[in-house]
Amino acid sequence: MTSLTRRHFLKISAAGTATVILAGCDTDERWVELEPYVQPPLEQISGIASWYATSCRQCPAGCGIIARVMNGRAVKLEGNPEHPVNRGRLCARGQSELQVLYHPDRVTGAVFQAERGSREYEPVAWNEAINTLYERLNEAGSRVAVWLGSSTSDHLYDLFRRFTEAIGAPAPVRFDLYSAINGYSALSSASAQMLGRSTLPAYDLGRADMVFSFGADFVGSWLSTTGYSVEYGRFRSQPNNQRGYLVHFEPRMSPTGAAADQWLPIVPGSEALVAQAIARLIADGDTGSAERIERAAALAGEINLEAVPGATGVSMEQLERLARLFARAERPLALPGSPLTGQPNAAQAIAAVQMLNVIVGAVGQPGGMSLSSALPEGAPAAAPISTFADVQALLGRINGGEVDVLLVHGANPAYELPPGAGFTDALQNVGYVVSFNPLVDETAVWADAILPDRTPLESWGYNVVTPTFQGVPVISSQQPVVTPLYDVRPTGDVLLTVARGIPAAASALPWTDEVAYLQEVVAGLPAGAQGGDDAAVRWARFLQHGGWWTDAPTGEEAGAEAPEAAAPITASAAEFQGDAGEYPYFLHLYLSPLLGDGSGAAVPWLQGTPDPMTTVSWRTWVEINPRTAEELGLSHSDVVRITSPHGEIEASVYVYPAIRPDTIAIPFGQGHEAFGRYARNRGANPLRLVGMDAGEDAASFNWANLRVKIERTGSEKALARFESTIEPGEHAHLPLSYGAVHERIEEVEENVEMEQE
Amino acid sequence: MAENNKWTMIVDLDKCTGCNACVVACHAENNVPIANEEEVIKGRGLHWIRIERYWEGEYPDIKARFLPVFCQQCGNAPCEPVCPTYASYHSDEEGLNGQIYARCVGTRYCGNNCPYKVRFFNWRAPEFDEPLNQQLNPDVPVRGAGVMEKCTFCIQRIQRVRQTPEGDYGPMTRDGDLQTACTQACPSDALIFGNLNDPESRVSRMLPNDRQARLLEHLGTEPAVYYLKGGTTNVGE
Repeated sequence: MTSLTRRHFLKISAAGTATVILAGCDTDERWVELEPYVQPPLEQISGIASWYATSCRQCPAGCGIIARVMNGRAVKLEGNPEHPVNRGRLCARGQSELQVLYHPDRVTGAVFQAERGSREYEPVAWNEAINTLYERLNEAGSRVAVWLGSSTSDHLYDLFRRFTEAIGAPAPVRFDLYSAINGYSALSSASAQMLGRSTLPAYDLGRADMVFSFGADFVGSWLSTTGYSVEYGRFRSQPNNQRGYLVHFEPRMSPTGAAADQWLPIVPGSEALVAQAIARLIADGDTGSAERIERAAALAGEINLEAVPGATGVSMEQLERLARLFARAERPLALPGSPLTGQPNAAQAIAAVQMLNVIVGAVGQPGGMSLSSALPEGAPAAAPISTFADVQALLGRINGGEVDVLLVHGANPAYELPPGAGFTDALQNVGYVVSFNPLVDETAVWADAILPDRTPLESWGYNVVTPTFQGVPVISSQQPVVTPLYDVRPTGDVLLTVARGIPAAASALPWTDEVAYLQEVVAGLPAGAQGGDDAAVRWARFLQHGGWWTDAPTGEEAGAEAPEAAAPITASAAEFQGDAGEYPYFLHLYLSPLLGDGSGAAVPWLQGTPDPMTTVSWRTWVEINPRTAEELGLSHSDVVRITSPHGEIEASVYVYPAIRPDTIAIPFGQGHEAFGRYARNRGANPLRLVGMDAGEDAASFNWANLRVKIERTGSEKALARFESTIEPGEHAHLPLSYGAVHERIEEVEENVEMEQE
Repeated sequence: MAENNKWTMIVDLDKCTGCNACVVACHAENNVPIANEEEVIKGRGLHWIRIERYWEGEYPDIKARFLPVFCQQCGNAPCEPVCPTYASYHSDEEGLNGQIYARCVGTRYCGNNCPYKVRFFNWRAPEFDEPLNQQLNPDVPVRGAGVMEKCTFCIQRIQRVRQTPEGDYGPMTRDGDLQTACTQACPSDALIFGNLNDPESRVSRMLPNDRQARLLEHLGTEPAVYYLKGGTTNVGE
């Protein structure tokens, strides 16, 4: 394997998935050539790095990366300086894709599991694995379901969608915890309602001068964090020494709350009320242009302003000040954050925040909001994220015994769904479950076969970027930067191979291999910033530069025109699950800036890097206000049981001074029962506290409107805090274990004394 | 190169979001091992660059401040004179505090004497579960047990640019050609690296600055790291 050069690998990557079903696999372009050893491997000079552009798949943002490859090993990832999203920068999660590639627990070939859940995997030849899959799919007919994640390459989505369409099965479900918590589908449907196209909104943060963030942790875990962090840097140093002003509304201070000029700990679920009150106050006030006041009067629905301070925790004086700030600013901008999308009234709450952008005329303006840039004719569209309703429909099909074969790629539903979904139990109704994940995750534990895909740094693909930045449409390219470590097959090639044998699918998926498909897609793209007259040059530049984009904004980001004044928008506070008497505390869940939704938990770099706000690594914690902790007699390291109407978890307390006393906060990320040695049996998954209820539009399940109670378990478990754990006044230089050591010294001294006696 | 370099870092605290991109970039570039949970609890966590988080005030009027701290590359370094084996030494050529791992015998005097607590001791030999070791940067040695280590301003990158024939990559010290791993990763452009002896460099143009301060400057350590304190806004109010 190691004697294979990257160039050879590229040549034979398709031929490698030797067809076992059908002869006539047309690989005439990709013959293996035998070359003498005296010829050094191409693109490799000892001690000199080669750089390959590809795209990051650790979250759906689609940042461009360049990989430093030395002697055939990928040793460092950097941001691609040309890429319009991350512009040369790269976040902690993106950097860690290297450890996904070199993870010690990767599945190194196709395996079967005779008994689901046994974790006893039998290696099997790829031919047999692919043949079995073919037979199962052929028998299943249209009784097939495909479950993809938000970070699954868009080309795979396109291939799977063609496949399901051809065999008459419903389109693939594309849903994971990251997209659920960030409210991808709720935000997209709000865009459709407001501006007529279903896509993620794009915010020109860097040029705004007054930003009101309603729980959008855009420097921590929101949508396209690196892109928005670049924007944040620009926001702080604008031309002429202008420095933007950021107000962040959130019950618990996130990194964005810490970066804000003003953090307002509002009552959970009251974001929309605050937005509407600000709109109403602009309408009733005399600050800002006549146009803004007029639009505010038209859009701000009726609201009892006197009740707002009590319901939101923001004083009337403060609200009036905020309304003045927003109305007066030159380029104000409001962001609807994740918690809004996890409430039963998600659509209404998002609309209330977007209304502020309409009032100030920020739609389609520099420093304002628009839709993610549309791609020109002929280009692939961004793969949509499924609504929770789609997920429930699929679960219904599974429970109804309508699914014989389930294919899972890039998602981990056994971990990423509330326990109420009963996903693993439902699998009993499915005849054959296949996981394509490179690591054994919770879903793969319940699969009959694992046909591991290559990891992103060994893979082909493309990613249609949303949200876009500065109006530039982008397709990020993905190419292998190293020879694959193991005998693992690209899922696209596996699919194309089996499709050849299924009469209904064969004509829909005519490509020899996934690279042929990608080349066809790229050949169909219009001229972009990279130029290139013929298809071969265009393809080479697509790979060389890390994708396709335009030189300048296309102006096709619909919504350049302000929408017609719609009916007035009336907001209300979210209704909470759980009785306030029995469950006295609000629960604030958030995505870990490092581990994300838990898909980052597998690698040591992310496990071992301290959380920005708490400096805790390696475990789950429960954040409690110092006052509340004192009332409950809790301190750091006390293990507590958190109970919601849907379930309970246990974790150690972290006394967190920047959270409402009536709220406790828990990060997602840990609590894996599989997923490699670094993630397994570590911390707790707060999704256990979440139920299956969904709002009216069922874009997402309701995770942001829960009440909980806290009980002390009596046990203690110290958290790995990187910050100093010495309290002021304590002796410094004493490690945490001082007490234990001291006891031991006393014990030894006593023994010595006894012996002496 | 005729003239000495004065490598300098500017940390714009107004832009730092505490995201830790720099921390992971440094682990990747410099082969810094990850301490496991038990070691962190014992206070043996190891990051060449760390984000210190300070709370100011009390709820609800509370602020969190981030302060990225790493070797300050002192011009007058307390770690240097105490080393019995000259493992900590001063490079006038680059304006850096060097650390020669092969000379280090692990007295930890330097760590004791460092007022910034940015030197880390390898209490045990680092472990990289195979094949994670394939990621290791061949330009940087892996330090063994009993050796002190710290931020080097990515000296291997400086060396690589120095050793590159001019014809291949253009002028050697052109500003921006050389970035440390942390500055290259930083999404919000809070870290800026350059040569203070180059009057055209970005750091030279940014310094002196109204907002600048150096850590524990009164100790006379002459750090090469300048912090720009958080700005006040000129919008709104």
